[in-house]
Amino acid sequence: MMNSNIQDSRLFKIANPAGIAFFGASNNYSSMGTNMLQSIQAMGFKGALYPVHPKEETVLGLTAYASVSDLPETPDLAVIVLPTRIVIETMEACGKKGIKHAIVVTAGFKEMGTDGIALEKKLLETTRAYGITMVGPNCIGVTNPHHLLNSTFLPFEGTPGFIGMASQSGSFITQMFGYLGPRGLGFSTGFSVGNEADADIVDCMEYFGACPHTRVIALYIESIRRGRAFIETARAITPEKPIVAFYVGGSEGGKRASFSHTGSLAGPDRLYDGIFRQSGVIRAYSIDEMFDFCYVLGTLPPPAGNRVAIQTHSGGPGAAAADGCSRAGLVLPSLSDDTRDKLSPYIPATASHANPVDLTYTKNPLDYFSKIPEILLSDEHTDSMLVYLLASSSMIKRALEGMGMSAGDADENTEKIIDQQCSSMADIMTSGGKPLVGYSFLTRQNSFIKNLQDKGIPVLPGPERAAKAMGALVRYKQLRDKIAED
Amino acid sequence: MDEIKTAIRKGHQSLSEFQSKKLLDSYGVPITREKLAGSMDDAVSYAGDIGYPVALKACSHALMHKSENDCIRLNLKTAQEVMHAYHHIIGAVDMALEGVLVQEMVAGQRELVMGMNRDPRFGPCVMLGIGGIMTEIINDTVFRVAPFNRREAMDMIHELRLKKMLEGFRGQAPADLETITHSLLAIGNIGIDFSGISEIDVNPLIIDKEGRITAVDALVILERDE
Repeated sequence: MMNSNIQDSRLFKIANPAGIAFFGASNNYSSMGTNMLQSIQAMGFKGALYPVHPKEETVLGLTAYASVSDLPETPDLAVIVLPTRIVIETMEACGKKGIKHAIVVTAGFKEMGTDGIALEKKLLETTRAYGITMVGPNCIGVTNPHHLLNSTFLPFEGTPGFIGMASQSGSFITQMFGYLGPRGLGFSTGFSVGNEADADIVDCMEYFGACPHTRVIALYIESIRRGRAFIETARAITPEKPIVAFYVGGSEGGKRASFSHTGSLAGPDRLYDGIFRQSGVIRAYSIDEMFDFCYVLGTLPPPAGNRVAIQTHSGGPGAAAADGCSRAGLVLPSLSDDTRDKLSPYIPATASHANPVDLTYTKNPLDYFSKIPEILLSDEHTDSMLVYLLASSSMIKRALEGMGMSAGDADENTEKIIDQQCSSMADIMTSGGKPLVGYSFLTRQNSFIKNLQDKGIPVLPGPERAAKAMGALVRYKQLRDKIAED
Repeated sequence: MDEIKTAIRKGHQSLSEFQSKKLLDSYGVPITREKLAGSMDDAVSYAGDIGYPVALKACSHALMHKSENDCIRLNLKTAQEVMHAYHHIIGAVDMALEGVLVQEMVAGQRELVMGMNRDPRFGPCVMLGIGGIMTEIINDTVFRVAPFNRREAMDMIHELRLKKMLEGFRGQAPADLETITHSLLAIGNIGIDFSGISEIDVNPLIIDKEGRITAVDALVILERDE
């Protein structure tokens, strides 16, 4: 059922083709097909590109072929962005050429009703006759930045990442390029599955389960086509890799879930809640939340329990994190006497030794990244930590000047010190084996935030979101343990 | 169960309460002690066997909404009351009955509902919810897709917002979670074993003072186009 080797996935050649036959690109820059081929070129795809065009000799500077049968080799993948009426004959020609994988971007099938349903059935019969694995129709295709492949109509932005995403919303993945990049995140691979005539979201999950670049799987779901397979596949993956789903209602299957006496009790939403929980899938209730969860679940090991220490130097963000924790099913343990004793030398007498630990200010601002979190994480009552971050380069520079360093030397040393501090915090987290999530109102433009994120500490925008994401990490542990009990 | 095949063949929409509960009983779901009486004498005799107080209910596969048809009499304490109730029920119902169900009265302040609905994509989906007269308002239901294991059934209970209701409180013993999980698995297994069943509705299951649970009413709905 589950592939341990990604090359056994039926989607492998779709996301990692050696060569592509492209149908529907021309030299007309306003056409969808042309934009998509441009995206592939812009990303620097390393394999062969064979535009097929009935009239043009070249397309976007590439040699064009009048028919797929003219291609000098049999490429792994066909991408079809043609008018609906000629898709099936094109698929047939691809089959005759021996192409075994196809992405059909063209719309006008099942989503159009009766005639479209019949057409989609015929398309599927064609792919089956030739043993072709198909993604689509009515989709945007695939993005695999690790393979320098992006077939979607917008150029890829950002860097390759660890989020493997399958989406039932057409261009959702494409739209997220600009969202993830500035947060330091990226896709490992993204599939837009369209009508799922052949390959579906479960196939994508299997691919990501075996994908070495994927550390967390994100699903944008409108309805699940293969119910039982979804549950079985997810339960096989979640012990190894977390899955986060954002579900937006409207499943025709779910709507039927009503009971004769208690009809109003059962909506598709509650049914999906149960299905996700049974599958070990963490449900997110917004797009921001989905990626917050992916960030934390893909970065950190789950904590042993739900006890969180909060470190802050400002009352408001600390209290907000505490409030967020209790809403997210987390508890704030009292710190041990030993921990309080160990903290004393580093924090002012007026500071709070309770949890949240509110330092007001630190005697040495650098202790905030090393000694203090180290002491808090080593407390036996603590499973994880949330740390409020409001440090800036100028703060470090001032501290260095306060220590007697010249302005010039302080400038020079500031970035180095930031790097050391962030390394220290990352090391403390790694060696302690307890997860730490930072939260801040600053962005990656701040050196500390960028540096911490790049060293593997997730920093989320605001206390509530950090608390919710930590809650999701705890929930993942609970679901994983539940499934492991089988 | 030949009764189910026969009922489907005859075009019945559902099983009677008596047959529905026999099916549940055969899978180990605890049901009320009850007997199907074909005469007033039988009813009185069965009431004596079961022990007063008892309930009398008209029993037919065609009777899906008993309370709306005024064919239930509850809390009958004497043979006289049973005779009177029997007479009333026979007169109130305008259809052929399998008989009149004589049933123990189960006392308890806490109620659950359970059910099964065959989803076209997921197959048999099992539901657990908090029951009682405010069940729609409380709206606390959880689902799993059959088959699932005991650990998953226990997780359904944990997923209820009002799960504390199943702990001991105000002199009530903790609910028998072992039997609740077994019943959830049983309902899922019925869904798997009988593709001709489209829905099961067990409502209510009463939790008594000692924490025992009993299915008091149940309805098995059959697929129409077999």
